[in-house]
Amino acid sequence: MHKDRMIELVNEVFLEDFEMEPQQLVPDANLFTELGLDSLDVVDLVVALQKKFDVSIRDDERIRDIRTLGDLYSFIESLSGELNAG
Amino acid sequence: MPGSRGSMLLRLQTITLNLIFYFLFFIVVVLLVPVLVIIGLLRAPFLSQRENKKSIRMLIRIYGRSMLFLGWPFIRVRVEKEAGNPPKACIYVSNHRATSDGFLMGMLHCEGVQVVNIWPFRVPLLGFFARMAGYLSIREMPIDEFMRRSSGLLSQGVSVISFPEGTRAGSRRMGPFHSALFRLALQTGAPIVPICLSGTEDKPRKGSAVMHPGLIRMRLLAPITQEAYRGMSPFQLKNMVRDRIASELDRMELAE
Repeated sequence: MHKDRMIELVNEVFLEDFEMEPQQLVPDANLFTELGLDSLDVVDLVVALQKKFDVSIRDDERIRDIRTLGDLYSFIESLSGELNAG
Repeated sequence: MPGSRGSMLLRLQTITLNLIFYFLFFIVVVLLVPVLVIIGLLRAPFLSQRENKKSIRMLIRIYGRSMLFLGWPFIRVRVEKEAGNPPKACIYVSNHRATSDGFLMGMLHCEGVQVVNIWPFRVPLLGFFARMAGYLSIREMPIDEFMRRSSGLLSQGVSVISFPEGTRAGSRRMGPFHSALFRLALQTGAPIVPICLSGTEDKPRKGSAVMHPGLIRMRLLAPITQEAYRGMSPFQLKNMVRDRIASELDRMELAE
């Protein structure tokens, strides 16, 4: 999957499931302090991403290290072999 | 110079306030708290477990209210209600600026349990009574247990009182909200009553014990009922309530 398409799909999750504004979705945005997610919201985010990309990530330890939207893009990009969304 | 005279007067008021406040605080801790404990102990054998909890929560409310009047007339508290008295069992959601916010919840006319961080449970005496009253130390329990216990309280007619920022902001800037309380609302359908606290940010300032004179305003906004939030996600609901509190605080403080 092309990186731009992957970013677009990740952003769609934030726009649709979390009703964020497009201008909030910059790679440097901190998921917790700037976008306002907490640990329970991250669980919802993981569920939404799994659905969007048809992939299982809930047990992936690397999720714990994600702080910014850029980290999340990189994490999803690292799964490129498994991604099925279109 | 009028400016320096004004600041000297404020300094004098602050010193007087703190002398009076901490003297009375000592008296309350030494005299009122033992009296409340004795009242609680004397009543305990004649009450059911449920009534005992109710009794402890009432005594904590009296203690909280008494704390608020120690600084009078330098510190005054005004409670404002946007829509009359709130429903019996609801979820109170307040912004959190200073230690005094917890005591302010004693102004609510309800049987309530506060959702607290770990530290109040570690304060001698206070921690003991918080535990006895069934206060919820949210960081020390899994989310499932929190949901089970807090929904049980709501079904008994006990309100759940919370500061979803999770910690004192220490200023007028409000932090992001945690979503546990809003998940509770979505699960139980309980009404949410937003509370705007203004004027507590320097009573005392974060990292200080110095109380500053001034007016504390506690404004209870109209309840947000299940009809209004049905279908929202916890994230949307918490941000809707946060926005409502933030814009009301802006209105309250812009007029100052």
